[in-house]
Amino acid sequence: MKKISVALVLMSGLVLPATASDLEIALQLPKISEGQYHRPYVAVWVEDSSEKSVRLIEIWREKPDWIKDLRRFWRKTGRADQPLVDARTGATKGPGQYRLRWDGKDDQGATVANGEYQLVIEAAREHGGRQLVKQKFNWDGTAVALSVAAGNEIGQVQLSRKAP
Amino acid sequence: MKTVRLLTLTSLFAASTALAHTMNVLPSHYVQSKTGGFVTVDLFASNMTFQADKGVGVEGFKVVLPDGSIAKPTAAVQGKRKSMADVELTVAGTYRLEMGGQPRYFTSYKVGGEQKRLMGDKQKAAKELPKDATDVVTTQGRNRALAFVTVNGPTDTVLKTTGQGLEFSFDRHPADIVAGEAVTATLTLNGKPVEGIKADLSFDGELYRNDPARQHLVTDKAGKFSFTPANAGRYLLEASAEAPLKSDKADKMREGFTLSFEAALP
Repeated sequence: MKKISVALVLMSGLVLPATASDLEIALQLPKISEGQYHRPYVAVWVEDSSEKSVRLIEIWREKPDWIKDLRRFWRKTGRADQPLVDARTGATKGPGQYRLRWDGKDDQGATVANGEYQLVIEAAREHGGRQLVKQKFNWDGTAVALSVAAGNEIGQVQLSRKAP
Repeated sequence: MKTVRLLTLTSLFAASTALAHTMNVLPSHYVQSKTGGFVTVDLFASNMTFQADKGVGVEGFKVVLPDGSIAKPTAAVQGKRKSMADVELTVAGTYRLEMGGQPRYFTSYKVGGEQKRLMGDKQKAAKELPKDATDVVTTQGRNRALAFVTVNGPTDTVLKTTGQGLEFSFDRHPADIVAGEAVTATLTLNGKPVEGIKADLSFDGELYRNDPARQHLVTDKAGKFSFTPANAGRYLLEASAEAPLKSDKADKMREGFTLSFEAALP
């Protein structure tokens, strides 16, 4: 009996970081053939209903000089927390399909309260344009299936979460 | 009769152009995402917003560092249409770029009904005024042109008011001004909010539109007014105020400032 309960605890421990309940984010960067092409700087983060950043998911960038051109990202997140920016930094990426996920935790690792949140994606390209995508979603354990139409700098975005 | 009218017009015109010239401190960037860089700052007088007309002396320009200490630009040159200064941004925080701020004194008076003016405070005027001068008023004038540049996280030290002259404070940091979001300003004269101070808000590109679309703002009883920058871009806030002055140098003060700032993309 004891052994079984230990096993159960272990099992549930293993099950805890279950990815099935994560918010899955599918993001496209479009192929751009007009003009010079430089890979965009891209930031992906989650804001609460008061538009305060709660979780930086990723930022793809190179030199610090140009992070400011992700205007909203810099104002909401980047300028105040250099270690966080460094921790979430990835290399810039070319055209293609990318998959990211959010585990429902804030930057400090605490589980966020149920409520309305928004996924924010900002892209800025040297000699190119800038685009901001904001998509609200309910984070209350229910399923999420949302799609944002493609724009000039950010292709189609899909948010999905399976119901438990 | 015609000659007199012409003279009056000319002097009015001269006076109004002198007054209308707006001093600008216009940095190349308001926001930076790394330390150790520079901004280059344009210093000029203008009639249309951000259309440089005349370069100004660079000796009156200073940089207030995020810790409140004062620095000089690493290089500065006076040009015919605009002057320029390089400002090094060695540390993170908010910098204040400031031009002017030195008080100037002038005494206006009448002789035989004709309005005249001499540059100088009450003591100088006492020596130099003609004996038959009437309506003598000495003014202490002080004008500042300002801009704030923020490197990484914004700080507040250089925003603090001193309780001296005409000053302003916003309900948000200048680095947090965003298109479509309201800003409330409080204007104070010698530390006290004053009702009825007039200010003008204008934005970049007046040369390229018919309607300058300036907003005329006036402080309410609490010394406040609000504005919402409709679009992202560069804006100029200008305000001036007068008040009696108890001083052995002047009878009244005239204070003015201009602030250039950007409204960021949402």
